[in-house]
Amino acid sequence: MGKFSYVLKNTILNMRRSPLLVFATIIAVLVSSFLVFTTLSARSIVQNNTVRWQSGVHVVVFLDDRVTTSAHKQLQESLESYPEVRLVDYFSKSEAKDEFQVLFKDQPELLAEVDFEILPSSLRINLNNPSDYTLIIERLEGNPAVKEIRSSGEAIERLLSLTDTLVISASAFALLIGFAAFILIINTLRLAAYSKRKEIKIMRLLGASSTYIRLPFTLEAVVESLIGTSIAVGFGWAVIEYSKNSVVAESIFDITIADDYLIFLTLSLLLFSLVFGLFASFVGIRKALND
Amino acid sequence: MINLKNVSLVFQGGSVAISNVSAKVKDGEFVYLVGHSGSGKSSFLKLLYKEYLATKGEIEVANIDVTKLPKWKIPLLRRKIGIVTQEPQLLDNRNTFENISFALEIMGSLPEEIDTKTNTLIDLVELNECAYKYPGQLSGGEQTRVSIARALANNPVVLLCDEPTGNLDPELSIQIISLLEKINRAGTTVVMATHDSSIVNRRKKRIIELKDGKIIRDQLNGSYVVR
Repeated sequence: MGKFSYVLKNTILNMRRSPLLVFATIIAVLVSSFLVFTTLSARSIVQNNTVRWQSGVHVVVFLDDRVTTSAHKQLQESLESYPEVRLVDYFSKSEAKDEFQVLFKDQPELLAEVDFEILPSSLRINLNNPSDYTLIIERLEGNPAVKEIRSSGEAIERLLSLTDTLVISASAFALLIGFAAFILIINTLRLAAYSKRKEIKIMRLLGASSTYIRLPFTLEAVVESLIGTSIAVGFGWAVIEYSKNSVVAESIFDITIADDYLIFLTLSLLLFSLVFGLFASFVGIRKALND
Repeated sequence: MINLKNVSLVFQGGSVAISNVSAKVKDGEFVYLVGHSGSGKSSFLKLLYKEYLATKGEIEVANIDVTKLPKWKIPLLRRKIGIVTQEPQLLDNRNTFENISFALEIMGSLPEEIDTKTNTLIDLVELNECAYKYPGQLSGGEQTRVSIARALANNPVVLLCDEPTGNLDPELSIQIISLLEKINRAGTTVVMATHDSSIVNRRKKRIIELKDGKIIRDQLNGSYVVR
């Protein structure tokens, strides 16, 4: 009890001694943790959406309506025989018209002017492996029944590549700010240890163990780190909640993230910040205790 | 209690602080460690509480093999030893009571135990009037007495005093010696380093005299003549 109250009292005392440095440290940890939290959450959202898109239509083959419907039928059968293909749906001109009318129901002027005759019939292909879309395109090249081929694979690949770039950039930035937080914690602890050098010397003479002398500094680093991360995670949850009801959520993106994933991310970040604080305190006062 | 066998201490750079010293101090003894400044008195004491690591030889204090003691076990040794330095090393932001209770506090004693024991120690060093005074409000002698009380807080079996009267006038020095004798009579072994011959010769005790890091005299009821 006596030891615990000593550690707690001295931790608070240390933090009150240099409040600005403590504040700067917490802010640096906060920014770094927030970046990690939002980046990983965003990646999860993109991955969820990509999976959703990938389970849908991968290749759309617009048919040339000048060729006979038997040629269209033949093409469909030929596509269905490919091992890469899971499903082929024929989409007639009238179905294309219905779809167009649904998609642009808010633009009556456009609907009034469009000649639905120009909308082609199509074959909508679902692949076993979405990345095989190039094979299908290659095989259909030069086929007289084919007017145009569109693939979602390329767009998904571009989106994933963009996401990866964003994740790497944000992670690098988070790492940089994390390093700044690390330096700040070390600096704060060294200042505290320097101002308490006489006390530390007396404690050593009286037989206090290194661990006991170290504890208030360790607790300070851990508290600063945990406060920063907790606020960051709180902000992160708030941003996700807000985004669910935002314009983005109503567009093609599905903003939902599994609660399990968010809890895992939160606990991982808190655990990491605990280890981060322990390590920073170890490095920060190692020299002060060896003197 | 204390046993040194062929102990040497050579600092980096080659300067010899202690050279092939052997000595024994029995339980309950009072020993003056005398010699000029730079003769090796402080180094001798610092070897006993492992502030310095002996270059050669064997040291045993309170049944602990100091030479083989790993670094992480040094606190265990120091809890058996009371250390009083020339500068009292008091915390300026704590009063007498708090400076003494600090030793008990960091050892994890319970609040009631801290109160009782600190008051007993304040009685022992006769500082009742100054219990709530801060170091800046105390005389040199009073500060030394606080330092002695703090060193005694954990019931050490041996008290090592490194020139505790170095900054005090003769009258205050005598008071400190009387206090140390009182502590010694209660059973604590005392080893006190000093170069003040007037103190040593007033009370005939065992004397270990050092010169250039070597013991040149070890005498019971001896006196010290400054050469």
